[in-house]
Amino acid sequence: MDNVLKVAGLRKFYGGLEALKGIDFEVGRGEIFALIGPNGAGKTTALRIVATLLSPSDGKVTFLGYDLKKQPEKFREKISYLPEEAGAYKNLKGTDYLKFMAKFYAKSDKELGEFIKRAQDIADLGTRLNEKAGTYSKGMTRKLLLARALMTRPDLAILDEPTSGLDVINALEVREIVKRFAKEGISVLLSSHNMLEIEFLSDRVGLIDKGRILDTGTPEVLKEKYKARNLEEVFRSALQ
Amino acid sequence: MNKFLNLLYKEIKELVTLQLLISLLFTIFLFYFIGQMAKTEMKKAMRTQKIAVLNLDDSPFSEQLIGNLKTANFEPQMVKERDKQRAIDETKATDANLLLVIPQGFGQSLETQEIKEIETYSYLRTFSLVGSRSSVIINAVIKAINEYLSNDYLKKKIPDLSPEKIKNPIKSKDFVIVKDRMAEGKAEAVAGFVSSQSLFVPIILMMIIIYASQMVISAIAMEKQNKTLETLLTVPISRTSIVTAKMFASGIVGLISAVIYMFGFRFYMSGFMGDISQAAAASGVSGVIQKLGLAMDTKGFIILGISLFFAILVALALATILGVLAEDYRSAQSLIMPLIFLVMIPYFLSFFSDPKTLSLPAKILLYAIPFSHPFLTSQNLLLENYSAVLYGILYMLAVFIVLIIVAARIFSTDKVLTMKLKFRKKKVQF
Repeated sequence: MDNVLKVAGLRKFYGGLEALKGIDFEVGRGEIFALIGPNGAGKTTALRIVATLLSPSDGKVTFLGYDLKKQPEKFREKISYLPEEAGAYKNLKGTDYLKFMAKFYAKSDKELGEFIKRAQDIADLGTRLNEKAGTYSKGMTRKLLLARALMTRPDLAILDEPTSGLDVINALEVREIVKRFAKEGISVLLSSHNMLEIEFLSDRVGLIDKGRILDTGTPEVLKEKYKARNLEEVFRSALQ
Repeated sequence: MNKFLNLLYKEIKELVTLQLLISLLFTIFLFYFIGQMAKTEMKKAMRTQKIAVLNLDDSPFSEQLIGNLKTANFEPQMVKERDKQRAIDETKATDANLLLVIPQGFGQSLETQEIKEIETYSYLRTFSLVGSRSSVIINAVIKAINEYLSNDYLKKKIPDLSPEKIKNPIKSKDFVIVKDRMAEGKAEAVAGFVSSQSLFVPIILMMIIIYASQMVISAIAMEKQNKTLETLLTVPISRTSIVTAKMFASGIVGLISAVIYMFGFRFYMSGFMGDISQAAAASGVSGVIQKLGLAMDTKGFIILGISLFFAILVALALATILGVLAEDYRSAQSLIMPLIFLVMIPYFLSFFSDPKTLSLPAKILLYAIPFSHPFLTSQNLLLENYSAVLYGILYMLAVFIVLIIVAARIFSTDKVLTMKLKFRKKKVQF
């Protein structure tokens, strides 16, 4: 598989605290790669660096040949980031929010229309899109934000805990949407501490703990390697 | 697609909320209401004043005195009771706020030039400003009586000379000099008019600076609180554009809010002060002002506008940096305080003191604060100190450039997400 994202020796310090201790991983085109680990393992920091929000202290990140440190603006054109605790502008209607975000990517009115149409399909919020985002439930906001993240068909979607705060039905829908977009060629880098979700969603996983990647591989290979029934047991064995 | 305009439009839309519009309309209504009330009360105060009079003397002298009070804009109402205590009680039931008691033998004592006491009783029915009118009335009544009696006495003693000439044997012809211009007039009237005309300038400045700064700090803090900043920072638009759009939107909305606020404030002030220009025209001061070149012309207003514009830019840039430090909307409200202090110091100093007479440390402090310069601009323009005005504008421009570089740099680094003042225990998410 053609690796579009390459992360090598990535380190990040917050003052004297080393949050990432030299991690390496790659994501191929149309692949769903998940970082799994407990809270404080360094998942969000890694995702924020790839999303150009934080600068790396050391190491190299390249995407489609672009260097993160030298060309962060090129990264921003190609990626889309869904933070774990993201919100929408409360005074904007759902449609206005999508239009506002789409205008940063659309090169023509036609493309703008396509983006919004796609977002409406993903969000599946019907007429509620004509109401202010401040009136939405957590689940509705999450679906709106996921629609925002995928509507432009980015080359890489970075999804931090994509089903966070969603009920079972909505979470299932979101997982299906992510899978569908990956099949269409969008690379996905996601993080979650819900290992069952990851097992269903991802093509490959990276087990991360205390800023280090313990192991990487497909869920099946990892399960076989650690003689485990599921990823939770894989993670426990990897820690030992 | 113009990404910057897209962002600017969103920022304005986020700032102009229904709550903001309601609060602005309410402010105008409140000021208008208070102004109208004050105007009505002022008109009442200017009307003929009713005073109750108990005349225990009944001499032609006292009758003449009472008649003379009418010419001094008083409406004497005679108390029928002859007993003083009863007269006091009777007056209490009326709307007169003053009882004047002319004692028995008053007329006779004047003929023998003995000093006789007139008793006055003020009815303090309220402790508001209107209540203090009674002391003004007493002074006016006593002054009118003394004027009448002294004139009458002088006329009798020296019939060939007018009492006015005896009491004021010399007169002064006053001139005021400002720079190289001179005009006939009184210095206090000129200074009073100029300060009353420029009274609004520092208030407008203060309001605009505080309003606009509060807007930008809140805008950034709300992005953080609503968790929208992270998403915005990953879209393909330069960080400088994000900072500038927030500043522009806050500047525009802050300016409009301040103008609306000042519009209401004008209603309020006009209630207390009336129309300053009409009063000045009536007293003849406006002619003196014109001769002295103390009336602000179009060029002056443009320069003042430029000075104000740069002060707003400095405030917005500083507020942007402060906004990054805020964790949420609530902490943003605390962070506006240092900026308010920076505006308040020159505001009060320009109101109550002359910068030239300040001590050296105070002078350095005053000129180092960028917001001092627009406060001093109107005075410097009137006194033709153009170099001081130019220095102020250039200084503000330099401060703005430094601050905007700092703000853009903060937005381009991790600091926009990690820099914050610790109002509560910090949580770091990995």
